[in-house]
Amino acid sequence: MDWDQLLSTLKQLWQGFGFTFGIFAFTILFSIPLGLLVARGRMAKNIVVSSLVRFYISIMRGTPLMLQLLLVYFGPYYLFGVSTGSIQWGPFNYRFIATVIGFSLNYAAYFAEIFRGGIQSMPIGQYQAAQVLGFSRMQTYFKIILPQVVKRVLPSVTNEVITLVKDTSLAQVLAVTEMFTVAKNLASSQVSVMPFIAAGAFYYIANAIVEIAMNRIERSMNYYS
Amino acid sequence: MSVLEINDIYKSFDDLKVLKGITLHVDEGEVVAIIGPSGGGKSTLLRCATTLTDIDSGSIKIAGIDLDYKDKKSIAAVRGKFGLVFQNFNLFPHYSVRRNITEALVSVHKKSKEEANAICDELLAKMDLSDKGDAYPCNLSGGQQQRVSIARALAASPDILFFDEPTSALDPELTAGVLNVIKELAVEKMTMVIVTHEMNFARDVADRIIFMNGGVIVEEGPAMEVINNPKHERTKAFLAGY
Repeated sequence: MDWDQLLSTLKQLWQGFGFTFGIFAFTILFSIPLGLLVARGRMAKNIVVSSLVRFYISIMRGTPLMLQLLLVYFGPYYLFGVSTGSIQWGPFNYRFIATVIGFSLNYAAYFAEIFRGGIQSMPIGQYQAAQVLGFSRMQTYFKIILPQVVKRVLPSVTNEVITLVKDTSLAQVLAVTEMFTVAKNLASSQVSVMPFIAAGAFYYIANAIVEIAMNRIERSMNYYS
Repeated sequence: MSVLEINDIYKSFDDLKVLKGITLHVDEGEVVAIIGPSGGGKSTLLRCATTLTDIDSGSIKIAGIDLDYKDKKSIAAVRGKFGLVFQNFNLFPHYSVRRNITEALVSVHKKSKEEANAICDELLAKMDLSDKGDAYPCNLSGGQQQRVSIARALAASPDILFFDEPTSALDPELTAGVLNVIKELAVEKMTMVIVTHEMNFARDVADRIIFMNGGVIVEEGPAMEVINNPKHERTKAFLAGY
C-alpha cells in the first residue's frame, strides 16, 4: 500500500468535493423554493398554468438528468448562438452554473410533487378554522399550512436530498471537476480502484451526515402529531 | 335586536338543492338549537352563515353587517363578529393550546401579546383548563380539545357563537364537560346557534328549536314545546327515534 499516493488521492478528492458540495448546496437553495412555486402552479385553478406546469414536471421526470444538463450547457450556443465560454461568476464558470441550473430545474419538479402531496393531504378543516378566525390567505399558508406540510413531507424530502448527493456525480458529463470526475481521472492514471473506493467513502460519509441532520430536524417536530 | 338575520336563502350544489328558502332570526342572548336528520341542510346552513360557503340567493346579516360574498371587506368584517366550533375541533396541531387561542388575537386583531395572554388565561380558567396552556392538542382528550376550540372561538369576543355538532366526535363520557361549558355560556346570555343531535341537551339549553328537513324549516318553537309536543308528522317521526 502506497500511503503517500493514498494521501494525495484523498487530498485531490477533497478538493473535488468542494464542487460536489457547491452543486449540492446551490441545488437545495434554489430547488426547494422553486419546488414550492411549481407545486402552487401545479395546483392552480387556471387550467393553462396547471397544464404547463404539469408538462414541465412530466419532462423533468421523464428524461435523463444527464441529458438535461447537456441541454442547459450546450443549448444557449447551439440554439441561440450565445457563447457561454466567457461567463464567470466569482469562482464559478458556466459549466458549474449550468450544472446548478440543470439540477435545480430537475429537483424542483420532484420536490414540487412531494410538496403537492403534502399540501393536498392537509385536512380542509385547517383552512376553514383559519378562515373563520380571520387569517388572511398568506397567514393561513405560512402560519398554519406550511409548517404542518414540512413535517409531513420531511421523510420524502430526505430521500431526495440523499439522492442529490449521489447525483452530483452526473456533473462529470459537463467536465466539472467535482469529486467523481477527479476519482475517475485518478483511477485511470493510477490504474487502481482505490480512488473509487475513497470517493465512495466520501459520498457515504456525506450522506450519513445528511441522515443525522434530517433525523434531528424530524425529531425537533415530534412535539406534536 | 337580531344578531343574526338570515332571510330566504337558497343554496344548491350542482343539481342538488340543499337549502330552499331558509329564514332565521336570532336575538341577542338567545340560544337556538337546530335539529333534524342528516342531509337535511343543517350543516350547510351553518356553513353559509359562517362565510364558508356562498349562497345562491337571499341575505345574511351578522351583528348588523351585511354579508356580501363578492366583497372581501364585508367577509373580513363579519369574520370578526362570530365564532365557530367545529365537530372535529380543527385545532392547529402544531400550536400549543395557548397559541391556538392567542394567534388570531395577535395577528388578525392586532392585540399585544400581553393582552392576548390575559384573555387566554381567563378563557382557560373558564374552560377548566388552566394547567393546559402549554400542552399541545394531541396530548388532550377529545373533550378537552373541544373546550380549547370553544375558547379559541370566544377569544375575539364574538357577538354570536355557532356550534356544528360539538359533541358528535366525542366519546359519550366526554360530552358532559363540553355540554356544561355551553350551558354556562347560555346562562351568561351568549347568543348561540347549535346544530346538535343531543335532544335532551337541546331541550335544556335552547330557548328555541328549529327542526330542519329537506332544506326547509319544518317546525320551530320554544324548546320544550317542539321536543315534548311536536306538531308536524315529520318532527314526530324524527323525535321518536330518540
